[in-house]
Amino acid sequence: MSPTPDPPESKPKSAEPTDPSLSGALGQDTEGNLPHRGMRTDRGRLARWFTIRDEPGGLERFLFGIACILLVLLIWHILTRGEGEARIVDPYTLPSLKKAFGSFHELWFDRALMRGAIASLTRVLAGFLLAAAIAIPIGVIAGCFPRFHAFLRPLSIFGRNTPIAALIPLTLIWFGLGEVQKVMFIFLAAVAFIFFDTTMSVRSVPGNYLDTAYTLGARSSWKNGLRRALYFGLAYALLAAFGLHWLSEAPQTIIAEAVDGKVPEQPSFLTQGAFWIHALLGLLVGTLLWLPVQSHQAISKVLFPLALPNIVNSLRLLFGLAFGYIMLAEVINAEFGLGKIIIMSQRIGPREHIYLCLMVIALIAFAIDRLILIIQRRAFPYVSHGH
Amino acid sequence: MATDPTTPPVVEFRSVTKTYAAGTRRAFTAIKEVSFRVDDIPGHGEFVSILGPSGCGKSTILRLIAGLLPQHPPTSGEVLMRGKPVTHPGPDRGMVFQDYSSFTNRSVLDNVAFGLECDGMPKMERYDLARDWIGRVGLDPVKDLHKYPHELSGGMRQRVAIARTLILKPRIILMDEPFGALDPVTRQQMQDLLVGLWRELEATVFFVTHDVSEAVYLGDRVLILSNSPGTILTEEAVPPPNRPSREMRREPDFVNRVFEISSLLEKLEEAAQHS
Repeated sequence: MSPTPDPPESKPKSAEPTDPSLSGALGQDTEGNLPHRGMRTDRGRLARWFTIRDEPGGLERFLFGIACILLVLLIWHILTRGEGEARIVDPYTLPSLKKAFGSFHELWFDRALMRGAIASLTRVLAGFLLAAAIAIPIGVIAGCFPRFHAFLRPLSIFGRNTPIAALIPLTLIWFGLGEVQKVMFIFLAAVAFIFFDTTMSVRSVPGNYLDTAYTLGARSSWKNGLRRALYFGLAYALLAAFGLHWLSEAPQTIIAEAVDGKVPEQPSFLTQGAFWIHALLGLLVGTLLWLPVQSHQAISKVLFPLALPNIVNSLRLLFGLAFGYIMLAEVINAEFGLGKIIIMSQRIGPREHIYLCLMVIALIAFAIDRLILIIQRRAFPYVSHGH
Repeated sequence: MATDPTTPPVVEFRSVTKTYAAGTRRAFTAIKEVSFRVDDIPGHGEFVSILGPSGCGKSTILRLIAGLLPQHPPTSGEVLMRGKPVTHPGPDRGMVFQDYSSFTNRSVLDNVAFGLECDGMPKMERYDLARDWIGRVGLDPVKDLHKYPHELSGGMRQRVAIARTLILKPRIILMDEPFGALDPVTRQQMQDLLVGLWRELEATVFFVTHDVSEAVYLGDRVLILSNSPGTILTEEAVPPPNRPSREMRREPDFVNRVFEISSLLEKLEEAAQHS
């Protein structure tokens, strides 16, 4: 990637009309772009709420979000206040606000919320990373070579239209009850979507960039491509070797020890044959997948980098979905994880924990979404991002 | 200026026809039986303006020289470059497009250095050359260096496009209405800039435009195409642009020439509407 010495804030006013969503995202004043500049009275302010596409400032947007949360909590409170017959909703169906939040201490310590959350998160991360590592290069190749895309289309359509929940019995048969099953479930759930979005991102890069690249001498060279693909292969080798090692080493205990502050024992993985076999496999797969991409300058220097912001954006949205799917796998069989806590709370109580877990899940998903968005803004300062 | 008859022409079209979707009901012939030759004039090059009503296949001719899909290959006839058929696009035929085609993910510096990067030139070397060219096309070699295309105006983007094409010293430069989207003032500035740079490079330029005065000002020769399917209707030699655009455009000879060609084009457009 090219260096980005200019932070987006320091850019001078350009002659191009600035995208209001971009300037809003950078914390600049968006007032200049508003259609009704004269309406600055209190009545005008309210009228702006009902103006189509009138962009609010960052603080205003934040306050509207808070208002929604407060409204939901208020409705919850109204539904559950009072005792016995006076309550609108009985305590079995919906616990009171106070009771729900009061059970947090128990959830944190007795149910080991943190350990569960980390366990769930690592499972999704592992499965999603695996899916991205395979689907992105294949998707880029399919986006560049329509015949290859036509060839893979049946698999892509099948993968995207299979009900996710229907995969659980199959993954149990194929991968057993352990950690591998959950990671592979996420992998299967995500891989077709990542492939499809990557292909579409590459296909939607305008053709004039390709023409320009060709007339400027973009070439194809398998020799140079192999050298660059080997770097990807090395990264894949590391991930495959350490990732599979980690999966086989009962990760729950590693997490438990890490959370409790104990230093896990140094395993002697370097002497294990499986470690090196996995590394070799990763090297082979990574190199092969990235060889076609890296061998064509028109892809590695033009189509892929131009599509990358869209690819990362779709990864961000898909990760949110994948994080939701892991609950499906965890409520069926798991030793740790948020899904396990939820199913235990439903069976043996307290049911308040279900509500708290749902909030924790939403918070974690939101935090990850923001984190990726920040990375996106840093990595692609030339693209306008959403809020 | 005498041409050497022993060297093959820089570009030669031998009754080139291009039909899209040939054999189907949607078949459309963009150009038909186009023949012309442009000889290499040593130490000069030639500036060929291509004029014609809209949709007459001007861009098709350029893209056939460049070897770009889907115009390449021609349905029949031969497109020869220095006596050899064009087989694929290459950096010896630089092209500047009308729509902004600067890579949005690259800074001005990396955009201009793109071709050298593809060629494998080391970073320091290609950046030095790129800085030089950024200055030559009238951009600020310090301030504009790290800007992204979305921070540039239309005129500045076309300057980047010209710099990144000329930095490769192509023997043939193909320009497809490069100033079509610019305002008149910027447009004239760009024309003068182009004339200056072309003198230094001594390359053969093909310049597609639908602005008659632009074609007459810039060209040594003007090719006029008829309506679709496009064929070469007439060829006219015009005086080279040896004075600044503003001066030359006021001379009666220039004005008359523009008027003649304009009325010819108008007739063509009318004929197209009635057919």
